[in-house]
Amino acid sequence: MLLRLPVRIARAAFLTFVGLACLGPVVWVVLSSFKTQAQVFGAGNLIPAPFSLSGYRSLFTEIPLVHYLLNTLLYAGGGTVGALSVGLLAAYPAARMRFPFRRSLTVLFTVALAIPITGLIVPEFVIMRDLRLFDSQFGLVLFYSAMWFPLTFVILRAQLTGLPPSIEEAAALDGASYFQLLRRVILPLARPGLATAGVLVFINIWNDFLFNLLLAPSTAHQNVQVSLTLFRGQFRTDITAILAGTTVMMVIPVLTFVVLQRQVIAGLTAGASR
Amino acid sequence: MSRSQDIARARGLGVGPRASVRERSRASRLLARLEPPTRGMGLGIAISLLPGIALFTAFFLVPLGVVVVTSLANWGPLGFAFDGLKNYRTLSHDAAFWAAMKNTALFAAAGVLLQVPVGVTLAIVLAQRIRGWRVLRVIYFLPNIVSIAALALVYLTVYNPRYGLLNQVLGAVGLPTSRDWLFDLHTALPAVAATWIFTAGIVMILTMAEIAGIPVEVYDAARVDGASPWQLTRHITLPLLRNIVGVCTILVLLATIGYFDGVYIMTGGGPANHTLTLAVYAFQQYSDSDWGYANTIGTVLIALGLVSIVLVRRAFRIGERDF
Repeated sequence: MLLRLPVRIARAAFLTFVGLACLGPVVWVVLSSFKTQAQVFGAGNLIPAPFSLSGYRSLFTEIPLVHYLLNTLLYAGGGTVGALSVGLLAAYPAARMRFPFRRSLTVLFTVALAIPITGLIVPEFVIMRDLRLFDSQFGLVLFYSAMWFPLTFVILRAQLTGLPPSIEEAAALDGASYFQLLRRVILPLARPGLATAGVLVFINIWNDFLFNLLLAPSTAHQNVQVSLTLFRGQFRTDITAILAGTTVMMVIPVLTFVVLQRQVIAGLTAGASR
Repeated sequence: MSRSQDIARARGLGVGPRASVRERSRASRLLARLEPPTRGMGLGIAISLLPGIALFTAFFLVPLGVVVVTSLANWGPLGFAFDGLKNYRTLSHDAAFWAAMKNTALFAAAGVLLQVPVGVTLAIVLAQRIRGWRVLRVIYFLPNIVSIAALALVYLTVYNPRYGLLNQVLGAVGLPTSRDWLFDLHTALPAVAATWIFTAGIVMILTMAEIAGIPVEVYDAARVDGASPWQLTRHITLPLLRNIVGVCTILVLLATIGYFDGVYIMTGGGPANHTLTLAVYAFQQYSDSDWGYANTIGTVLIALGLVSIVLVRRAFRIGERDF
């Protein structure tokens, strides 16, 4: 498409400005995490020279970072498996079976996505406490499964609805039961939806801050988001360690996105684009 | 505002009610043919639905009921007593609450008036498949994929008065300053908003997908008539994006109305409530063991979310298709 020069300049300026505004600070922090304290304070040097790992060294020695990373992995992995399982179990009948209240149930589960969940801080805390799940890692996994169940439900239901109606017929004629159908016929076909929903849910739980802080606050149960944010409060002076910690927090989601870009984008757009 | 949670919501809001009309006829045909497999599977279906219903009830339905009912009570770790509309009366002349309302409204307005247009513009430009559009798409989307907590730490460093990037850049272009952006009454709110306003990646991704779905023939006819690229964008693409812009507006509104992580980590609502949001204020009340009052704020927050969704759906006539 041919555009006049001023238009092209304006376009390039816009793209550059937004790019710098949203990614510049992040790049600067990642670069700075490889500096020494003195380099950070000495203004004007963008690229660390020499390259230093002192921030990462003090980060890993001052706090049990590996423990926090494993916690985060447990929550994100467990919560993703939980949300996908519950989501698939509910989405299959909602998409392909007939039963009373099917439509109202579908609407209810879908509308759950529209609730600004930060308004429910106190009730979520009280319910976790009354279920004896407060400050428990299992409890938090269960909570994340619940939190992300509506999303997996919506994604999987949309995908399963799109499958041709004949696929279960042969198996059903052979007298397969509901759960045999689900496991042998539907589960393999649901893989694209499971991957799409799984990646999104995993990244979201990995990035959670509020509910880890609210529902499993003890030090041993913190994820990287909470532990490194609090670490900043305790070690205000150790700037390179904070910069290194910030970089560590971002690595997993960014890698996941770069590697599984197609799944992420498919997950975001599958509904909106149809 | 774009953050991980909304990434998620994008999906649901796009699908649900919008697909319903089209889907209903297709689904009913489908179900008619599914009758035989469904027969005799009632128990299986019931068992299958049970976990979802249980989790939904425990963590969405009951909390919603609790938050509304207990907003009418004096409630804390020590006891519970209904006291009618007292919390709402207190709220109506609580300066901190109104500060939170004002800031939340400003964030919402900034999101709708800046973030959505930026995202849509990015999408229109990248959808022309300009050189490097794939890389650019990743660049604009990356800030949306990292946690708000991480971004908050990033911007705490950027705004740091001693070694922060912002003051360094200003110094380099001859505007030396030692301003502490996040703790200055005049700059705190815009400084917080600047951390998320340009992370319009989700709006961009959703809009790009919508543009990709517009049939090429729509453009061909106009091109034959000699329409310029600008005219194509202005008179064909933009009107056809009404639906998705509405969906994005809802996402941005939900995120800004419930904004918590960034403010809590960067300023805690300060200085002097200049960046306080409803969610942070509710959390403060929860921490102060005033659960009833926290839920009054929570009820207002949720009501604002639901009302804005209804209004935006109506304004953008979401659910009606143009092509």
